[in-house]
Amino acid sequence: MNTEVVITANNISKRYDESYALENIDIEISKGQIMGLIGPNGAGKSTFLQSVLGLLKTEGNLEVLGLDPRKDRHKLLKEVCSITDVAVLPKWMTVQQLLDYMDGVHPGFDLDKCKSILSRTNIKLHSKIKVLSRGMVVQLHLSLVMAIDAKILVLDEPTLGLDLVYRKDFYSQLIEDYYEGDKTILISTHQVEEIEGVLSDAVFMNQGRIVMKDSIESINKKYLELRPDQNYLDAAKSLNPMHQRTELGREVMLFEDIDKDKLTALGDVRPPVIADLFMAIMETTKKGGQQ
Amino acid sequence: MIQVLKAMIVREIQEHKVAFVYAPFFVSIILCLVIASVYFGGTNIQTDQFNFSTEYYDEEIRQAMQSVSSVSRIDIVRTGLLVLGFPILLTVGFGLLAYSLSTFADERKDRSLIFWRSLPVSDLTTVLSKVFTVTLIVPLMVLPYIILLQLVSMTSASIFFATNDIVSFGWLWGSYIFTDWFRIIFSLWAQSLWSLPLFLWLMLAGTYAARPIAGAIVPPVILIVLEGIIFKTNLVLEFIENRIGFWSRADSFPKEYQELRVVDVSDILLLFSTQAFWIGILASVILVAGIVYVRSSNSDHAID
Repeated sequence: MNTEVVITANNISKRYDESYALENIDIEISKGQIMGLIGPNGAGKSTFLQSVLGLLKTEGNLEVLGLDPRKDRHKLLKEVCSITDVAVLPKWMTVQQLLDYMDGVHPGFDLDKCKSILSRTNIKLHSKIKVLSRGMVVQLHLSLVMAIDAKILVLDEPTLGLDLVYRKDFYSQLIEDYYEGDKTILISTHQVEEIEGVLSDAVFMNQGRIVMKDSIESINKKYLELRPDQNYLDAAKSLNPMHQRTELGREVMLFEDIDKDKLTALGDVRPPVIADLFMAIMETTKKGGQQ
Repeated sequence: MIQVLKAMIVREIQEHKVAFVYAPFFVSIILCLVIASVYFGGTNIQTDQFNFSTEYYDEEIRQAMQSVSSVSRIDIVRTGLLVLGFPILLTVGFGLLAYSLSTFADERKDRSLIFWRSLPVSDLTTVLSKVFTVTLIVPLMVLPYIILLQLVSMTSASIFFATNDIVSFGWLWGSYIFTDWFRIIFSLWAQSLWSLPLFLWLMLAGTYAARPIAGAIVPPVILIVLEGIIFKTNLVLEFIENRIGFWSRADSFPKEYQELRVVDVSDILLLFSTQAFWIGILASVILVAGIVYVRSSNSDHAID
């Protein structure tokens, strides 16, 4: 993993009237990371991503590729691409017009590469964007982004509203055809299970705060999920799981920093899926807060 | 920078091709057909104030036309062609007003603002591309339609005069000043600069108001009413009226310039020497700054 830091946020806050959309966010994101921002609605994921893109004014110190995103947005966006929502491409344009426009305004856009990517899809250059399906619009948007040699890619709910096939295609295309070791990708999505396999790092957010941040590799080492055999339920409980839930009538316990061998003797052991870990950490934090 | 502006202006034209291309094209084609049909005997246009018909060319008129001085002849031809071009100018004028009001409102409405602002183009460049479209490009696009109309009118009239033995075919063409094409384009550029504060005000309304038409109309009306009550003056209303009208007929111009006529390039220099012109430019600079500020704050609403 390349350790060159591309995004530094120190004490970033964003307030709307009385409530915080972001509160004292501290994070460093390095070149090559594929970081997932995970959290419920209102967690502050989009706000953080928009501030990275220079679309929002925030308090605190934020640097992206050594630039202040708010002041140097124009310069920054030559190196940072984004898909911040589905269906925001101008509907009145034809695909060809959009490609020509991108070629005119974006110094890093490779027109031939984009046409080559599009030739592998059902999208026709003469089609108006308004006649394309939602999935095709996202595919077009991804093709535009893939034709730009950007250092950072920001994806904010890029597949919202798409069917499963398009969602799978989107991420497989992103990883297989776009991602290289020197690119950094930030992804925010509700469909955590679909991006879990592509992430190198995860940040859990809730109510404008970062609840947890770690690499997937470290998470998989640190947290283990045990489905204990009926006979060993009490033994498992005595190891103080950080969270416990029932799944299809079977107990599932989450442990932190525990020797795997201790658990293996008690039942099925596997790393938790990110969504379950997130829910467990949210509930634990809530309980901790209530105590 | 030039390449970026070019791509952005092409986008403006593509998006608003009905206002800038189709509408003036159809109006000019209809005018050409009407004029041709009048000269070739198919149509008489007569209203209380306006007669356009070939029935009136009798011997008296023929003699008057033959004896008129070349200077007067040029004036008559110029004024006639000027009047004929008004419908095209009015069409494009309305198109520009509609464009100014909708250009920033539409990108908010269809949320394409999010996409445009994800590209490495500053808000100032975006606003300037629209200013250049209004002030430089659209006048240039209108010119061919006006020239087409003039040439069709001149040709139809010349054929009519020659075939009816009124005057020779070259009589009219001898009075047609081809260099007037430059005067027309300079005059249109001057007009768009003169009216620029109005266009920019409409753009600002489209940038900030939930209902752009109300946003464009209500604040000036309030200002006009307050000014009338507090200061007993009409400066805001006069400013708006002047900017809607032709620059060469504005109050700031000497009275002798305010008759209906084809302007000289020296009139434009006179325009540049008036205080009113520079007040308009100053207002435009302030409005551009306002649009840039409001547009850059428009995405400041995410809470997720």
